[in-house]
Amino acid sequence: MKIKLIAAALSLAVLSNVAYGFDLGKFLEQQVNQELNKANNTQAKDPAPSTTQSTAAPQPAAKQKIDVKQLGFALFGDYSPEEERRIGKQISGDLLGAVPLVRDEKLQRYVNQVGNWVALQGGRKDVTWHFGVLDTEDINAFAAPGGYVFVTKGLYRLLNNEAELAGVLGHEIAHVTGRHHLKALKQSSLIGALGQVASSKAQSSDQVVQNLIGNGAEIMARGLDKETEFEADRVGMVYAARAGYTPWGLPAVLQDLAGLPAKDSRTSLLTQTHPHPADRLSALGEAVGGRLDAVQGKELADRFYRIR
Amino acid sequence: MKRFLIPAAVLLLNAVAVPALAAPGTVLRDEKLYSQPSATSSVAGRAAKGSSVNILTKQGGWLRVSSGKSTGWIRLLSVRAGPGGLGGARLGDVVGAATTKSDPSRVVAVAGLRGLNNEDLKRAQFNADELARLDAWVVTPAQARKFASQSGLVAVNVAALPKPVSNAQSKPAQEPSSWEAN
Repeated sequence: MKIKLIAAALSLAVLSNVAYGFDLGKFLEQQVNQELNKANNTQAKDPAPSTTQSTAAPQPAAKQKIDVKQLGFALFGDYSPEEERRIGKQISGDLLGAVPLVRDEKLQRYVNQVGNWVALQGGRKDVTWHFGVLDTEDINAFAAPGGYVFVTKGLYRLLNNEAELAGVLGHEIAHVTGRHHLKALKQSSLIGALGQVASSKAQSSDQVVQNLIGNGAEIMARGLDKETEFEADRVGMVYAARAGYTPWGLPAVLQDLAGLPAKDSRTSLLTQTHPHPADRLSALGEAVGGRLDAVQGKELADRFYRIR
Repeated sequence: MKRFLIPAAVLLLNAVAVPALAAPGTVLRDEKLYSQPSATSSVAGRAAKGSSVNILTKQGGWLRVSSGKSTGWIRLLSVRAGPGGLGGARLGDVVGAATTKSDPSRVVAVAGLRGLNNEDLKRAQFNADELARLDAWVVTPAQARKFASQSGLVAVNVAALPKPVSNAQSKPAQEPSSWEAN
């Protein structure tokens, strides 16, 4: 039923070369959001067909064209593991162009060991995980599709034990296993499909990927919506607990972040892209309640690698 | 063989509370104060949403706090560090938990440090050398398992946390996400 509606709208759009002012874009965006939030796929609310017919048919020459292939992908497609890896690699290479890795082999190796162990609890076997500590006092952590996870030195310094590291990494791993950035990219690729003719000129595949993610690593400054961040907190906490750590590592880090001065310049990007730590603690508390009361786990403060 | 050591280690961990916090906190929801760090212990008092507490000790998912005349254990996720109140936006400058850590070397001077910003990220150019460095540190699942077992970490079953239903009630209208706002 829903599929038919979309197909009808699509064919209309393609045949009539959609023009300005027509609200197809919004309609399609709603459809995409529905596709993405599979949770509420029980019924399709459909005021769209009537508006489609009344506004679309008589419009004259097109100012915008739709790339049908791209649009079809945005609606129904999925990135393959290989595409996902390439997108993540491009984003990560760009990010590393802005901030280099800390020159400390032992630290980096340690973080990869902890990260991989936590990631094993997430069940994505099609991913090769890469973890890195970024050489900046900025307090933040990043994830990119395909298993790339970064923690800044500034955030790492705030950590007190391995369980807290596991919690932070768990949050980022959850972004990857939940394909959160890919979903956001799909939404923007839809806008791309509506906003311009995708150039069919031969381009290097890296260039295509770079076009998709925008300038440099700006996608990392754009952030995800707050519900997605709350979800990553819930999932990350569970991953750490499944790995045998105390579940309270991530909340402890959030507590520390909540206690930082609001004007601390090291957290400006973090606060721009995430809900306030107090809101994250509150949302996490709603979800957790007494559910984890019986869960035991290790903190491993002794094994925690401390940076100079 | 190592497996037999785990229960003992867990017991030990349970017994150790982390002292010396004594930081201000704000209660995030109406909560009970328990006499022990356990929801099955007797209730020693109550703390109202928005009230200030003094955080005395931390133990697992619990904080020992004093609130007015009563002292007791409250769930870690029912309190936020800092006296800044409930809202994120109204958060003032606070000397919070980060500067009360026992290890002074971990306290980083804020002055003169600049965080990452949008422009840094936008201007960033792909760095293949750094990316290759990252490849060199890749750890296999087998290596990760070995690393875990060295400290007696064992994978355990923990059910996924459901999305809370009451979450939407606290904020009447859904705020636009940062992505949508672009």
